[in-house]
Amino acid sequence: MGLENFTEITWTMAAQVVVLGFIGGVLSGFIGSGGAFFMTPGMMNLGVLGPVAVASNITHKFGKAMVGSRRHADLGNVDKKLSLFMLITAAIGIRIAVTVMEFFFEKGDEHSTTRGAGADLYISIVFVVILSVVSIAMLRDIIKSRKNQEKGPSTKIVDFLNRIKLHPMIYFPVADVRVSLWVILICGLATGYLAGTIGVGGFVGVPVMIYVFGVSATVAAGSELYLAMFMGAFGAINYALVGLVDIRLTLLLFTGSLFGIFIGAYGTKVVNEVLIRLVTSLIILLCVISRLIAIPAYLQELGYLKISPDHNEYFNSASKFLLYLSGITGVLLILYNVFKAYFQRKKIQASLITDMPQTAVREFSGKAT
Amino acid sequence: MQIICISRFSYGYGKELAEKLADKLGYQSLAREELVDKATEHGIPVGKLETAIVKRQLFTEELGIETDRFKAFMTASLCEQALKGGIVYHGRGGHLVLPGLIHVLRIRAIANLEDRIKMVMQRMNIARKQAKQYIEQVDEDRRKYSRFFYNVDCDDPSHYDIVINAAHLAVDNSASALMHLAQLPEFQLTPALNQKIHDLLLESKCRLAIYQDERTRGVKVTVSAEKENVSITYIPRHGKKAEAIPSVIERIDGVKSLICTVATTNILYIQEQFNPELPSFQHLVEIAAKWNASVGLIRLVQDDIEKETNEVISPEFNTAKDVGGILDDEPAVERKEESGYGMPETINKLIQAGRAGACQTIHGGMKSLANKIKQEQNYSLVVVGDVFTSYNNLIRKRLKRDMISTLSDQASAPVISTDEIEEQYLFRPKQWIMTVVYALLSSLMLFLVFTNQHEILEFLSQSEDWNRVLAIIAVTIFAPLAAYLIGEFSHNIMKFLKLE
Repeated sequence: MGLENFTEITWTMAAQVVVLGFIGGVLSGFIGSGGAFFMTPGMMNLGVLGPVAVASNITHKFGKAMVGSRRHADLGNVDKKLSLFMLITAAIGIRIAVTVMEFFFEKGDEHSTTRGAGADLYISIVFVVILSVVSIAMLRDIIKSRKNQEKGPSTKIVDFLNRIKLHPMIYFPVADVRVSLWVILICGLATGYLAGTIGVGGFVGVPVMIYVFGVSATVAAGSELYLAMFMGAFGAINYALVGLVDIRLTLLLFTGSLFGIFIGAYGTKVVNEVLIRLVTSLIILLCVISRLIAIPAYLQELGYLKISPDHNEYFNSASKFLLYLSGITGVLLILYNVFKAYFQRKKIQASLITDMPQTAVREFSGKAT
Repeated sequence: MQIICISRFSYGYGKELAEKLADKLGYQSLAREELVDKATEHGIPVGKLETAIVKRQLFTEELGIETDRFKAFMTASLCEQALKGGIVYHGRGGHLVLPGLIHVLRIRAIANLEDRIKMVMQRMNIARKQAKQYIEQVDEDRRKYSRFFYNVDCDDPSHYDIVINAAHLAVDNSASALMHLAQLPEFQLTPALNQKIHDLLLESKCRLAIYQDERTRGVKVTVSAEKENVSITYIPRHGKKAEAIPSVIERIDGVKSLICTVATTNILYIQEQFNPELPSFQHLVEIAAKWNASVGLIRLVQDDIEKETNEVISPEFNTAKDVGGILDDEPAVERKEESGYGMPETINKLIQAGRAGACQTIHGGMKSLANKIKQEQNYSLVVVGDVFTSYNNLIRKRLKRDMISTLSDQASAPVISTDEIEEQYLFRPKQWIMTVVYALLSSLMLFLVFTNQHEILEFLSQSEDWNRVLAIIAVTIFAPLAAYLIGEFSHNIMKFLKLE
């Protein structure tokens, strides 16, 4: 590993990373996930090697989760026991992810014309597969709830696991669930592996806690953030060990994202719940398509696709355009609602005093005199 | 006009006990099952709610509203029955839908597991193993339900005045013992509590009417009533539908006045005596405007004052129907209530500022207040003002500190003293200094990293083992430090822009 892994950061690129961080932060505050689904491919589009983008983002996630999980813990939404049990195998998952990444990074370049193309392809494929499933499941959920069919997640898996009772069963008091140790370890492994590979452990960790363990959505989000703090730390350590963390990118991401998070979180107060879920799933879907468009370029670089290398620039530009389009549209929609509510707040005549009470003030005043 | 709530197991002897006790006292007995049937007839999907809770399905906003609707239905039914002449309710957590009614006698009836198994085997005609499994499953589902619906563990004996075990006590003897217990002064109705029942009834009627009416269905509201004055808050995104709230409430008998406020969240302000001219009150209004919050007022009446002003006449045996001394109001007490303790002036100021929330008087001191805070977890901030004013300064400070600590354990929101409001939540010169400090440190960090990027990247990508360890240490220290500095700077800027 050496300096060749790191991209030169110009002023323009620095500004773009800050914007990526800001968009990722707004989406993160709004959706409640880490925002890596936007920031990681965004950095790859800017020419950052995939593994470096993942490593810098996971380091960013570590610092951010450390600051953010305190608030969730104060609200009693964190089942620390559950998070720590998951961490046992999540750490192994991250280690596997880093090792596989190293393999693709070092060995995958043997037939490649461009450094890191093997790892970039591997990250992109995992990204597309996992996030396609997530976004389609979310859209399906919205359509179902609009049709007034199922009102919540299916409990089939929870019921099935409760019936077979794979001992030892462990009780988690805050989440108020009893889950088999083996199930937790397998799910922890998957969460850690995905967090270490594409930086989006939350997209797997939260649904796993809800659908497989039967944890409520609030506790799942809080516990995942607590887990993310440790996974982020472990991921950062592992990637720092192989010299892939670009601290400059982490710093630039912080500069944008920590502002964005506040705006995104404010957005959740003023935007309708269904709209939040719809915006989230569409943004993720567009990010998936954006990454899908970039895949032919990696295949060409690795010699698996016989097309002119000149076309790679088009693929990359189209991918970048779609990613920015999804992020910027989503953020503008959120910002529009946030500022609309912000300015309305000043105009609003908050207290409506009815006729019946012509009274409302007088009755109270009457008693005062 | 007593209210007795018996929390029971399935296939225990709670039902028999409740019926026997009601019979002895001459009260109406009401089972949860009857209440559920009535609620279902009124269109409340109780079965669906229970399935969602037990199966841990995702709770949509609509189901959240149905939960509140069912709670309102329970409160209204229990209060109506209590006002008619006393009630013995048996089911889950009846007392938990009657916040503030400290005279409710809360009983937990337990039975031997073996006896319960036998009962299930007989009634359902199943084998012992299946009967045991069935009981365990039902008990587990009930625990889940209580934890979700009431946020309490129904097995925790601290939620009850007495736990009665059927293992060695016959139903009739248990009922006799409980009847004696019900005669104690602690379980008698006082004028203040009688008013509280009327308030709770009115409050729940308003909630039911809003959830029931086509025009306002789906609007999430917080309702509170004090002496026929109703306060309703709703969130901004329901503003359009909420315009119909006044006309819905208009049809309810007994509403003297209505304050309807749009608010994203609620702040609770606790005092013994209010004064809208106090700087701390002005700060509170400033924060409420910033958060788009309503400010609810609670006037706290301490225990000793409570005892002094709400004396009840201990009833004679078998006169339970007349218990309460409602007609024995002392004029002096009423005069004291009428003086308002600064509440009318304060609520008027809040109305003018568009921040008016509920206003209530809590009797029973710390215990009742803690119960209320625990049951109503819809605050973003709880502010404790001047309390324990009858004590000297040192004792007052200690008691107030203890109170804040106790309330902090019960509330899911920060609980602070009025002295801390300005420093913690408003943007003042001190915050400017800190913002500049964070900005300078963040900029310095960016400057140092980008002017020494070559050296830093070389250091991070060195291959020697010892240097790798140093690189790991540097990364694990740097990331949280950078997040903290930039995070605090961003937070302060958002605070200044009132976008927290």
